[in-house]
Amino acid sequence: MQFELRTQVIEPQRKTFQHLIDRYGDRPASRYEEGSIDIQATANYHYRPLWNPEMEIYSPDYSDLKLADAYSFTDPRQFYYAPYVTSRADMHEAFGSTLDYLEKRGMFDRLPASWSSVVQDIVLPLRHYEAAGQMIFSHAARFGWGTTITQCCAYAAFDRIGNAQILSRAGISFGGGTADSLDTAKTTWLEDADWQGLRKHTEELLVTRDWGRAIVALDVTDRLLYGLMYTHLDEAALLGGAGSYSLVAQHLSGWFTDQRRWMDALYKAWGADPEHGTANAAVVADVVESTLATASAALAPIAAKLDALVDCGAAQALSDAVEATRAAYTTLGMTKEA
Amino acid sequence: MTIAPKAPRKLSMKARYSALTRDLDWDPSYVPAEEMFPYTTFEGITIHDWSKWEDPFRLTVDAYAKYQAEKDKRLYAVLDGFAQSQGHLSLTDASYLNAMKLFLQGVSPLEYQAHRNFAYLARHLNGPGPRFASLCQSLDEIRHAQTEIHTLSNYNKYYSGFHSYLHMHDRVWYLSVPKSFFDDALSAGPFEFLIAIGFSFEYLLTNLLFVPFMSGASFNGDLPTMTFGFSAQSDESRHMTLGLEAIKFLLEQDEKNVPLVQHWINKWFWRGYRVTALVAQMLDYMLPRKVMSWKEAFELYFEQQMMNGLFQDLAYYGITPPLHVDKAIQEKEYLSHQAYWILYQFSHAAAFTTSIPTEEHMDWLTEQYPDTFPVYRTLWEKERKNLENGGRHFIRGLPQLCQVCQIPMGFTEADEPFVQCQRESIYEGERYNFCSDGCKYIFDHEPVKFRQAWLPVHQIYQGNCGAADLPGVLQWYKMQPGDGGEYLGNVDNENWKTWHDMAETTGGH
Repeated sequence: MQFELRTQVIEPQRKTFQHLIDRYGDRPASRYEEGSIDIQATANYHYRPLWNPEMEIYSPDYSDLKLADAYSFTDPRQFYYAPYVTSRADMHEAFGSTLDYLEKRGMFDRLPASWSSVVQDIVLPLRHYEAAGQMIFSHAARFGWGTTITQCCAYAAFDRIGNAQILSRAGISFGGGTADSLDTAKTTWLEDADWQGLRKHTEELLVTRDWGRAIVALDVTDRLLYGLMYTHLDEAALLGGAGSYSLVAQHLSGWFTDQRRWMDALYKAWGADPEHGTANAAVVADVVESTLATASAALAPIAAKLDALVDCGAAQALSDAVEATRAAYTTLGMTKEA
Repeated sequence: MTIAPKAPRKLSMKARYSALTRDLDWDPSYVPAEEMFPYTTFEGITIHDWSKWEDPFRLTVDAYAKYQAEKDKRLYAVLDGFAQSQGHLSLTDASYLNAMKLFLQGVSPLEYQAHRNFAYLARHLNGPGPRFASLCQSLDEIRHAQTEIHTLSNYNKYYSGFHSYLHMHDRVWYLSVPKSFFDDALSAGPFEFLIAIGFSFEYLLTNLLFVPFMSGASFNGDLPTMTFGFSAQSDESRHMTLGLEAIKFLLEQDEKNVPLVQHWINKWFWRGYRVTALVAQMLDYMLPRKVMSWKEAFELYFEQQMMNGLFQDLAYYGITPPLHVDKAIQEKEYLSHQAYWILYQFSHAAAFTTSIPTEEHMDWLTEQYPDTFPVYRTLWEKERKNLENGGRHFIRGLPQLCQVCQIPMGFTEADEPFVQCQRESIYEGERYNFCSDGCKYIFDHEPVKFRQAWLPVHQIYQGNCGAADLPGVLQWYKMQPGDGGEYLGNVDNENWKTWHDMAETTGGH
C-alpha cells in the first residue's frame, strides 16, 4: 500500500554553495564536498607569522610538493569528521573486543617464550614511532595547502596516536595490567643499540620542516615497517603458535590498508599535476631513495633480532619490502629509474 | 579450598591515561631540542617543567571516537529530518536568517582556522600533555566548522546571503573584523595563541559569542542550529577546561610569565570584545523573537561570570581584569545601537539585510535601555520620515576603518552620543586611526604587525578589489541580487510570503 503524503514542493534557489557550483555545476553536493572543498583561506591574510615573517599564514611554499589546484586531490574515503569518527569508533571497538578475548583466555600468558620476547622487545617499542607519526601528520595538518589534504593529515595524526594507544593497551594487558612492559619497551627504544637507527631516523623525520617530504618519508618507512611487523610477522605468528600476536597485528595492518587509500591517491594527484607533476615526481623519487636507504638500514638490526628470536625470515622480508616499495613508486613514475 | 586466580594489578585511571598519552613522549637525542621545538622560545615565556601540565580531561582515542560518533549520528538525523520536512518554513521569519548568515560568513571560518592552529600546537608544544589536548581540540574544531556548514547548507538552498560565505570571509569589509581577529591569533606564537584562543576566546568570551546565537536559534524555530549548539556544548566544556589549564600553567611556571600573560589578556579581551559588536547588534536588532538584550547578556556572561568569578580566582596569580574593561562596561548601554546603525547604512554592500525597527521593537529597546535608547530612537524616527518620503538611508561613500579591529569608525565617546571617538598613533611617519583606547593600546604594542592589516577600504582605494566603483566591488565580493540592502521587499521576504501563502492554500506543512 502506498501513502500519498501531502508535502509542499518548493524549488530551491540553488543546490549548493557557489564555489561548488563553479567547480562541479549546480548539482547537489555531498557533505564531504561541502565540508572540505575550498575551506582553507587562500588570500588576503592580514599579518605575517611572528615565528616566520618570510611566509604567509598559509602557503603552498611550505613544501616542495605542490598542486596547481589543491582540490584536484580528494579523499577516496570521503572522510569528513562524522564518517571519520564513526569509522574509528568501529575500529577501536573491534580492537577492544580482541583485547577482551585475549585477556579472558589469558592468551598473552600462553605465548611461547620467544614470541613473548618479540612482543616485549620488538613490538611494544613501536608505540613511540606511532607517537612521532602523530606529530609529523599534525605538522602537515597545519602547514599543508588545501583542506582536502590537511584534513586527511589531521585524521592520520589522530590515527597514529590511536595506534600508539592500541599498542599501549596491548602492552598493559601483556604486562598483567601494569605499565611495566611499557616502561621496559621505552628503555629499549631509548637505549637498546639495535633500536637507535630507527629512533634517529624518526627524530630526523620529526624535524623535517617540509611537510610533504616528511609525510612521504614517513610513508616509505611505514611500508617497510608495517610490511615487516604487521604482515610478515602476522603470518609467522600463526605458524609459530602465537595467535594472540596475530590477533593484535590484524588491527594495525587493517589500518594501514585504509591509510594507503588516501596516500596513494595523493601520490597520483601529485604525479598527474599539469604544472608541478614532473617536479613532484622528482621530489618524491629523491625522498624515496634516501628514505629507503636510511629506513632499511635502521630496521635491519631489528629484523636480525626477530630472526634470532623466532627465525621467521625477517631479513629477507625486509629486503623484499624494500624492493616492493621501490617497485610501487616506479609504477607511479616516482623513482630515479622511472 | 580453591586458589583464586591472580587478580590483575590494575593501573589507576590517571596512570593508565598517562601510559596512553604523555608516556609516549621522549627527549630526542639525535636532533637538538631547539630544532625539535623551534617555536616555543621567541615569545619569552619560561617553562621549567612541562610535566606539571594537568590534563584537563582524560579522553583516549577510542572513547573520543565512540562518544563523538554517537553525537554526530543524532545531529545529522535532526538535520536530515528538518530538510525533508521543509522545516525552514517554521522559522519565526526569514529575516531571522540574517543572524545565521553572519554566523556562517563570520564564525564558521574561524572554527576552521582554530582546527588548523590547534594542529600546530599538537605538533609544536614541547609537552605531550598539552599536545594531546590540542590534538583533540583540533579535531573538535573541524567538527564544528563542518557541522555548522552542514547545518546551514539547507538554508542556503532557499535563501540569499549564504552562497559565497568563504569567498566573502576573505574579502568583504565587515568580515575582515572576525578574519583579522583570527589571523592575528594564527600569526602569533603558540603561547599567545593559547591565551588568545584557548583562554580569551574559548573561556572568557565564549558564552557571549556563542550562547546568543544558539539561544536566538531556539527562540526562532531554528531546530538544526539549536541542536548543533547542544551537540557542541560538551566539546566546548573541554575547550574551556583546556583554556583555563593553559593560563594557570603559564602563570605557575614562572613569575616572569605574569606580565606577558597580563598583556595578552588585555589585548585579547579587547580584540574579542570588538568582534562581539556583531553579536550585540544581532541580539538587539536581528532576531524577530528576542532572547535577551546585549546589555543583559554582557552583565550575565561577562560581568557576573568573568569579572566576579574568574578574575577573583586569577587575582591569586597577580592577574588583574583586562585593561579597558571599564570602557566595555560603559559601552554595553549603546554598543548594539551604534553597531546596527552602521550596518543599517552599509547593508547595501553586505550579504545580509537590515530594516528599520518596528514601533514594538523600539518599545522593547526603550525598556531594555531606558537611559540610552531614546537618543537612537530619534534617529530611527528621522529615518522613518525618510522612508515615508520614499528614501532609504544608505551611505554611498566608504568609511574609515579602525586599523586594529577594522570596524568602521562609528563608535562615540561614552558620554557624548554624537561625538565620534577617534584615536591615532604616528608610526614611522604614518598616521594610524583607531576606534578606541583599546585598539590604540594594541597597535602601540605591535605597530609592525598591525600596520600590515589588509583593510578592505584601503584595498578598494588601492584598486585591489576588482573595481573602483561599488557595483564592481560587489561583483568582486560575489554578491548576488537580494543578498543585501533592505529586507522588506527583498527576495527572501517575497519568497517567504509566497511560500506561506502557498502553505495556507494547500494546507501543507
